[in-house]
Amino acid sequence: MSDPVVSIQGLSIDYVVGAGRFRAVSDVSLDVERGHVVGIVGETGCGKSTLAQAIPRLLPEPPATIGAGKIFFQGTDLVQVPRWKMPAIRGTGINMIFQEPLNSLNPAFRVYDQVAEAVHIRQVRESGRGAVVRTEPGPFDDSRRPSPKASDAWAGKVVPGGAAAEAVHRREVDRRTGRSRDEVRKEVLDYLRLVRINDPETILNLYPHELSGGMRQRIMIAMALSEKPSLLIADEPTSALDVTIQAQVLTLMKELIEEVNTSILFISHDLGVIAETADELGVMYAGKLVEFGPVGEIFASPRHPYTKALLRAAPTRYKSDGPLLSIAGNVPNLARPPPGCRYHPRCPIARPVCRVEPGPPLQAVTGAGSTHRSACHFAAEVPQIP
Amino acid sequence: MSAPPLVEAVDLEKHFPLTRSATEFFGGHARRVIHAVDGVSISILPGETLGLIGESGSGKTTFGWLVARLHEPTGGALRFSGRDLLGLGGTELRQWRQNVQVVFQDPVGSLDPRLKVWQIVGEPLRAQGGLTKAEVRSRVKALLPTVGLPPDCLDQYPHEFSGGGRQRLSLARALSVNPKLVILDEPTSALDVAVQAQILNRLVELQRERGFAFLLITHNVAAVRYVADRVAVMYLGRVVEVGSVRGVLERPIHPYTKALLAAVPVADASRRRTRFRIGGDVPSLVDPPPGCRFAARCPFVVDRCRVEYPALREIAAAPGQLVSCHRAEEVLDISPASLLETEPAPPSPEAPAVAPGDGGA
Repeated sequence: MSDPVVSIQGLSIDYVVGAGRFRAVSDVSLDVERGHVVGIVGETGCGKSTLAQAIPRLLPEPPATIGAGKIFFQGTDLVQVPRWKMPAIRGTGINMIFQEPLNSLNPAFRVYDQVAEAVHIRQVRESGRGAVVRTEPGPFDDSRRPSPKASDAWAGKVVPGGAAAEAVHRREVDRRTGRSRDEVRKEVLDYLRLVRINDPETILNLYPHELSGGMRQRIMIAMALSEKPSLLIADEPTSALDVTIQAQVLTLMKELIEEVNTSILFISHDLGVIAETADELGVMYAGKLVEFGPVGEIFASPRHPYTKALLRAAPTRYKSDGPLLSIAGNVPNLARPPPGCRYHPRCPIARPVCRVEPGPPLQAVTGAGSTHRSACHFAAEVPQIP
Repeated sequence: MSAPPLVEAVDLEKHFPLTRSATEFFGGHARRVIHAVDGVSISILPGETLGLIGESGSGKTTFGWLVARLHEPTGGALRFSGRDLLGLGGTELRQWRQNVQVVFQDPVGSLDPRLKVWQIVGEPLRAQGGLTKAEVRSRVKALLPTVGLPPDCLDQYPHEFSGGGRQRLSLARALSVNPKLVILDEPTSALDVAVQAQILNRLVELQRERGFAFLLITHNVAAVRYVADRVAVMYLGRVVEVGSVRGVLERPIHPYTKALLAAVPVADASRRRTRFRIGGDVPSLVDPPPGCRFAARCPFVVDRCRVEYPALREIAAAPGQLVSCHRAEEVLDISPASLLETEPAPPSPEAPAVAPGDGGA
């Protein structure tokens, strides 16, 4: 509990659609520790992607509104940061990998241009010429000053004299970072090698549609890492991939975590993927975080009835071994969530109190010092559910 | 095997020619061809479930479409209950179609958003003709509970259903004409675990009650394990291994099957993999090289594999299991787990476990 990279406190997010109001995420508190991988699982519509997109404030607002809560990242509450400053933060510390690599890459640009853009943004930032995040705008805040335009150079406008300026004029040297194009190219190649792409020299000149799904996802990871983020949000990064490719990408991600020391918030609906990558696991149901703890402990002894049911629904048996255990009933409609605990209509150990009183906040299940927390009144009884 | 198999494919082949560019055309280049299904021989017995697993691009969906005669094969033979299918046409074909129905991959795209439930589910009935609107409605109404939908949703539209509900509609539509074979193309890949379990359970019950044969096409090994009696594994247009579900999944022989099974993530945090030893991507299907299709990625490859295609054969150690590998006897006892390196326990954050080997493969 010492030094979380991002700390979410009591976050609630509503979608206002027509006259309806859906609370997609309600009162979620979550810390991602430095160098840790935190997995979030849940079924479709449980709010896991909304949560993921809320952190870098990528949610379209409206229809989404952050109703309450704080998201602390590097000492800044992202909920309070004005919109125009967000791009600088997204570049500096938070990066996302999405499910569909084809939709996240620009089809009109070659791989080189896209990775180089990410490298460039980081260089601009490191050179101190780009927008800088400040909690309060200082007297010399130049982040809103218009940046020099490329068209100035083209139009033959006066650029500072000397050989360096001449190089800028011939577009060999980037004017803002002072790096040569060769240097950028070398760095791009390094990143492509980092994500284990064979023959990066060829790949550089290809367009995204010419690559396979696994390659595209690797390019996305390369772009995300080139900005050296302290938090990487991976929203179903391998769900669109085949299993053998998925295994390669997951192996790669695990190696990279050690190499570049980044923290990852890993969103998935696949318990297998989470079991393999995450250090801590959060389980979401109908917008609420119902269980959180070390991944091994949750898999070995889940302390929320929903987690238990979810774990057992994964088909691991043959037809002759009897039917699969599924969860009776359906995911509740978030416009009209059931009163009390949201899981009670489907819960095998629901008592009258569960119908009335909303689930308790996450509380430690095994002694005060444990990090394994559950939002169930009867967490102690969960191991006895057959 | 006394009864003839329900479906018998012999060297079934589907090649898709690619359009040549102007330069290629005038340069006299030969037309390039995608070998989507390249000599597949599989049979499906009445009332059994054959699982067809493979990654995207392995030709499994194309094979399903061939069996349903939605694609015309470019070679080979296809028989249904002993009757030649490829000669059928016109009215005969239309009548035959009630024997085979398909549940398509995409539960959103395969349901017309402007039709109501009774029109969607009753469409195969109406296509077969001879029923009034009221009859179709009453049949559909009787059918809906069998797939777990309420009978009073006849006049709803598909968008009012969840993903699982749409998949049930699709299933009801396939079952409406009482087919002998239902081709399930990725029936659960768009669904959550809990809903997936409900649908899979329903499939198994339906088969027990009504004796359908299923061809389950999926990349989801867990679904195949639960639903299938026999499994065929496809890679790049060819079948590499066929056998009983327990045989193939518990004792895979072909290196690709081993790789596929090893790659499936297991929901068990006490056994984490650190490294997967199968590299490379699925190669292109355009004019594939001779020899074993898996040779480029196979860890056990020898020179012979690159030259000569290994025919499907039964090996002595595993009767009933056909495998297409030159080195089947030698790789027999290599377990899928050996393609992985695993950690015994999840690493505690304070003491990082053994660093993944940075040399090696």
